[in-house]
Amino acid sequence: MKYILLMSGTKTGVDGYHAWSQKDIEAHMAVLQGITEELTKSGEFVASQGLADPGEAKLVRGEKNGTPVTDGIFPESKEFLLGYWIVDVATPERAHAIAGRISVAPGPGGVPTNMPIEVRRLAIYVQPQSQ
Amino acid sequence: MKYILMMNSMRAGHGVPQWPQKDLQAHIAFMIGLDEELRQSGELVSAEGLSFPDQAKLVRAGKNGVPITDGVFPESKEFLAGFWIIDVEKPERAYAVAAKVSAAPGLGGAPLNMPIEVRPIMSAPPPEML
Repeated sequence: MKYILLMSGTKTGVDGYHAWSQKDIEAHMAVLQGITEELTKSGEFVASQGLADPGEAKLVRGEKNGTPVTDGIFPESKEFLLGYWIVDVATPERAHAIAGRISVAPGPGGVPTNMPIEVRRLAIYVQPQSQ
Repeated sequence: MKYILMMNSMRAGHGVPQWPQKDLQAHIAFMIGLDEELRQSGELVSAEGLSFPDQAKLVRAGKNGVPITDGVFPESKEFLAGFWIIDVEKPERAYAVAAKVSAAPGLGGAPLNMPIEVRPIMSAPPPEML
């Protein structure tokens, strides 16, 4: 069963992250990297990506003739995706356990961020994964 | 440059299973066609569809690292319905693909004109963070 673990945050939250000390950022990244390595070894790792700053986000709609209309206005409360992991696990509980590990990645001063991680199963009927 | 195109929806917006079979088939055929097109142009990196929001869980770790799961989300919460990662020459091309996705056919074949969030992907953490 494939699950996606979504890490999200508001623009204010992301701006706060940019204020972390270099040491705290390094410790945070090291833990996340360690989790990815562990999942790769266990054969559960499928994919992971980090997204660039929400300030670069655009909202696009197609006009009648298909011309893209871009807009970069989001409500203050909007949660932006910061990054995700796709894992292939035997049970939902295992996906939750991995999300728990990500949740305790260290923040400023090494204190766990305890950020909420949204866990969703991937749908089976759309599998256009490139070969 | 890698971009992610995100299709979000409110929980209430997930009326898709109630569409007539014909409309659903036309929508899925459109999505499969688009993926085929992006694969042939060499721009498709990956694409996934997510299961419905009623299965979503929010997980935090307790002090001892045990996962605490919860499925309570605010009414206003946008749920990710699916995404495409594409590798394109310039942002304008990413916007053009997003506009195509936006106009995917919905009920009665009318374009959905749904908003698609377009974001650059970080290729790797900056070296100083590793």
